[in-house]
Amino acid sequence: MSKVLDIRGLTKIYGKEKANQVTALSNVSFSINQGEFALVVGSSGSGKSTLLNMIGLLDKPTHGTIYVDGTDTSKLNDGQISSFRNKKVGFVFQFSNLLSDLTVLENVMLPIQMAGTSKSREKAAELLGAVGLRDQMKQRADRISGGQAQRAAIARGLANQPALVLADEPTGNLDSVTSKSVVKLMKSMCSTLGQTFVVVTHDQEDFGDVDRIIQMKDGKAYETMVRGVRA
Amino acid sequence: MVDYRLKLAKRMLFNKKGSLIGAVLAVTIGILVLHVNFVIFQGLYDAFIRDLTEYSYGDILVTDESNLIEKSDTILINWFSRIPDVQAAAPRFSSNGEINITKSGGMIETNRVPLLGVDPIQDIQASTAHKTVAEGSYVFSQNSIVLGSSIVRDLGGVRVGDSIEVGVVNRWGQDEVRRFIVSGIAATPGGQGLDYSAVVHIDTLRDMLDRKGYTSSIMVKLHDPTKAESVRDLFLASFPNDDFVAETIEESAEQQLAGFRSGIAMINMIGYFGMMSSAFAIVTIQMMLVNGKTKEIGIMRSIGARRKDILVIFIMQGILIGFIGAAAGTGAGLAYTFYAKETKLTFNNSIPLEVTFNWPQITQTALTAFGLAVLASLYPSFRATRLLPVEAMRYV
Repeated sequence: MSKVLDIRGLTKIYGKEKANQVTALSNVSFSINQGEFALVVGSSGSGKSTLLNMIGLLDKPTHGTIYVDGTDTSKLNDGQISSFRNKKVGFVFQFSNLLSDLTVLENVMLPIQMAGTSKSREKAAELLGAVGLRDQMKQRADRISGGQAQRAAIARGLANQPALVLADEPTGNLDSVTSKSVVKLMKSMCSTLGQTFVVVTHDQEDFGDVDRIIQMKDGKAYETMVRGVRA
Repeated sequence: MVDYRLKLAKRMLFNKKGSLIGAVLAVTIGILVLHVNFVIFQGLYDAFIRDLTEYSYGDILVTDESNLIEKSDTILINWFSRIPDVQAAAPRFSSNGEINITKSGGMIETNRVPLLGVDPIQDIQASTAHKTVAEGSYVFSQNSIVLGSSIVRDLGGVRVGDSIEVGVVNRWGQDEVRRFIVSGIAATPGGQGLDYSAVVHIDTLRDMLDRKGYTSSIMVKLHDPTKAESVRDLFLASFPNDDFVAETIEESAEQQLAGFRSGIAMINMIGYFGMMSSAFAIVTIQMMLVNGKTKEIGIMRSIGARRKDILVIFIMQGILIGFIGAAAGTGAGLAYTFYAKETKLTFNNSIPLEVTFNWPQITQTALTAFGLAVLASLYPSFRATRLLPVEAMRYV
């Protein structure tokens, strides 16, 4: 299996003066293979979201390298990072983060249009059909329920068939029933499409069996579990 | 298919109606101020030119360096009548005199009244001064006189048909007095006409001053006033041995108009400063828009929007604001101009403004406002691109 994500010695230190420096991530290394469903778990302040921001190229590490789909992301310039994010990384946030000025369909079309790919409407409609939102396509994004918005966000995250979908507490703002359906949807996308997911969560139980678990504590990735077996 | 950036720019702007209306109003008001300024001040300037042309100077005014033209006015009028661009030409003779009237046993007198001698037949072709006679009729005989409304007031209320005495000092320094019958009273809004003058037959005035054959000026009216300079040049070239002075209206009325022009330039400058204030208002409103859309910028950046895309989205908003504002402002300005033209708007209830649709000026104003709006959007747009996605996402 090919590695979709390979992190080596990742460190993130905030603050310029030594006295005020905070180490959010310390020498984190792990890798994730194509088609895996991985969880990043840990308590608040453990560095989960910082790690996700680094993987999603939203922030730059102080040291270390991140390979996504075989590309050393530290060598990309700003414009290339945007393009890379657009094509290789999909995001699903805690609060769905659909653009309220657009319809559900337009939100899903957006990354496809940014990539300059044709037939964005057809592709977006197909994805929305797959997540069960065909009826809500023309609704404004702020007029659908939280669960529907999160499904739409998953569709948007998958729009350009990225190498990696990053989800930051995707069920954190949902009731238990809706959470289960969203988890089920992500897992089904993982199994049917072979899509790699990296999910940051507090609620490991909601996700049941996964391919890999990365435990974060005080900025360190303490253990990596593969199908329940310590790696 | 509409570019997604334009669609986003439109939606983000139109969903913030307060900001949109504020920004558009800023542009609209800036343009409207300039249009109103133009209608009033340029209209006033043009009205002065119109009235000076119609009543006093014509499109070309011929005088002589020695103040009086000795050459026969018939020769000069005949010369002008052969030029196709000339509609009419008329001689005039100017002087000063005293006017008195005896009423109820008492005499009322006014001094240093401007006297204007006209040829009644030729003058009504070259000038519309005769149309300013509000009561009675224009000069029609050797002993008829038209008094301006101001003189009528000074004389305690003269009526048409009254007999008055006009006295002048002739070329030999002798007093010459004639009796006239008031044939008409002239009045114009704004007093630009003959309100402060007395008009008599040119031959009568020449006779009183013992200046037979002399003329103060020849007033020339053209079919097309834009030909004034070529006709003037042709005239001067045709009489090289005379000391004629031939001037277009802008030249002959230069003293009266120079100050006015400076005033208009200053008013327009104030208008353009107003427009620049509008641009600052747009900067403020767009900065608010950018701040209000921090989260959206973060989301867009996270799904792959480049800095350039964010820049384009917010500049497109500036273009939209500029376009709508320029269209609304120009529309409102044209509506005001149309209203002023149709209602023959007057300045301070006196002189009717000469309202014109100055298309080059209208276009320039609209384009300037549009350009300033786009320019004003550059800084907020640039600021939007500087937002780091990870910082922007903290607003989530």
